[in-house]
Amino acid sequence: MQRSRKTGRKWVVGSGQWVVGSPQSAVRSYQLALFLLPLIVVLFGSFNTIPFNTTKTGSVKIVFKNTVAGIPLMLDSAKYKNIFGEPFTVTKFKYYISNVSLENKTDKQAEKESYHLTDARDSISMSFSYPVTAGKYNDLAFLLGVDSIRNCSGAQTGALDPMNDMFWTWNSGYVMAKLEAGSDSSKSMRRLEYHIGGYKASENVVQQIRLHASTPIIITEGKETIIVVETDLSKWWQTIDKITIAENPICTTPGSLAKRIAANYSNMFSIQSVSNN
Amino acid sequence: MKAKVTISLLLFVCCALMIISATNGPGPKPTYLEFKIPDGWPKPPTDIFAKNRLSEEGFQLGRKLFYDGRLSKDGNFPCASCHQQFAAFANFEHDFSHGFNNTFTTRNAPPLLNLAWMTEFQWDGGVNHIEVQPLSPMTASNEMAESIDSILIKLRKDTAYVRMFKAAFGTTEINSQRMFKALAQFTGSIVSADSKYDKVKRGERVFTTSESNGYNTFKEKCASCHKEPLFTDNSFRNNGLLLNTFTNDYGRMKITRDKNDSLKFKVPTLRNVAVTYPYMHDGRFVTLGQVIDHYRTGIQTNQANLDSALKNKLPMTLTEKNNLIYFLFTLTDSSVVHNPRFAERQ
Repeated sequence: MQRSRKTGRKWVVGSGQWVVGSPQSAVRSYQLALFLLPLIVVLFGSFNTIPFNTTKTGSVKIVFKNTVAGIPLMLDSAKYKNIFGEPFTVTKFKYYISNVSLENKTDKQAEKESYHLTDARDSISMSFSYPVTAGKYNDLAFLLGVDSIRNCSGAQTGALDPMNDMFWTWNSGYVMAKLEAGSDSSKSMRRLEYHIGGYKASENVVQQIRLHASTPIIITEGKETIIVVETDLSKWWQTIDKITIAENPICTTPGSLAKRIAANYSNMFSIQSVSNN
Repeated sequence: MKAKVTISLLLFVCCALMIISATNGPGPKPTYLEFKIPDGWPKPPTDIFAKNRLSEEGFQLGRKLFYDGRLSKDGNFPCASCHQQFAAFANFEHDFSHGFNNTFTTRNAPPLLNLAWMTEFQWDGGVNHIEVQPLSPMTASNEMAESIDSILIKLRKDTAYVRMFKAAFGTTEINSQRMFKALAQFTGSIVSADSKYDKVKRGERVFTTSESNGYNTFKEKCASCHKEPLFTDNSFRNNGLLLNTFTNDYGRMKITRDKNDSLKFKVPTLRNVAVTYPYMHDGRFVTLGQVIDHYRTGIQTNQANLDSALKNKLPMTLTEKNNLIYFLFTLTDSSVVHNPRFAERQ
């Protein structure tokens, strides 16, 4: 048997209770405290999980559809031609979409931890969704590539995991977009390899993309709005600057050619449809 | 009596809940460590442990990984095969190191010292963070030649790793980010700040006359690039070496594509320099005497972007040269080279 120094009460080992030599009321208040304590703990804990804000939330799903000048992209077998008539067969097409937001004049609904790697070989990777406050939006904005901070912040995970084969080990930084193809126009073993990267100020290829929707994007509480974005890879050789496969079949370092190709492909996205629900 | 039952029941439920949460949830917190900056040293330019909190468990996991051959394709090439503790984590007596399948690397393995003060890695500074540095040797076909994917598969099969990843990071998940963070906790903890030179600076020892004279020569001729107390300013400079026509290595220019960076390489630290031979990016010099002779007489002064401090070479008498070598010997630090904490765990 132990005696508590502070209160003079005794803990009777084996009986599971305090024995108090004071009036009955003291016992009751003690029992009440013992009863309330777990209740308070449980209630307090659940404050974190009960959402108290009353904003109405729906979600947006963004779907990327790869095409070559409007024709759905087929890997490995389908033969395409660029505007110079140069033939190519795509074997790999991957690009980073990051820092996604829906915007109107007053509001910007950004996705948290917004990093996605689309891979033409993996249909699941071609779409993603995130919660958005209900309302009307006009623009879909995102970066084609990975913002400079994440290029120099050490080991990352998820879409940014270096295991995804989109991180240069010899000259740190992400390959923002990767296009590989076979092409008879290429004198480099009939291969085309565009690994477009570079995040430092002088060699930055990250593109800020802003797509304006012709009809408003409406997000409704509890519902999902789907935006289909067409990605036209034929734009890699045109729009700003004419680049031929014959002259430039390979680009696997940061620098001026990478910047020229990136300037071209900044125009490869367009909103194909918005399905408001 | 009724109250007694209620209380007992509540106590029972509480205890049960506590036990359940203890077994299912994350394990106990790691034992966090403070990274100590030696007295009088500059603060590291960035805090490498800001988003990778240093802990005993993380350090020990990194240490195990560093010495584990399974990080290489055939099991023969752990990090430690080219970064040997007794050579201050450089590669003893090798100009180039051996890699997978009887290959050679193309540059001399640098010592791993005071990396917490370094923001650009490799001789050309191409790697921008301590955590992503190991990616390069792990995946290079003439080094460890392994894929990150395969490494993780091997690690996940080992229950010791499962236990250690949980101890270091709270859950049993083994991914590349955690592996690189653990390695950075180990390599970033290797601090050399307890050589005879440091003891002299702290007033615990005194230089011999030769060492003292050598220190004066050092301060006059070498210290502008090999800046104390790190004995490097971590910059990239052309020190007037002839191009190695075997490797055709132009150094920093490969990263910046700027011809002004031709033949520029990182200024290496001189800490533990007595045990890190051979020297230079391609290990062309075997002795410190040869290195100093290069600066005395061998510098190619016709190179357009030769470092301005070397335009007139660094003339010095043979006595000055010998004393300088004696001084450099005072930079050998047994707290790194012989410290059991950095050794492979037996």
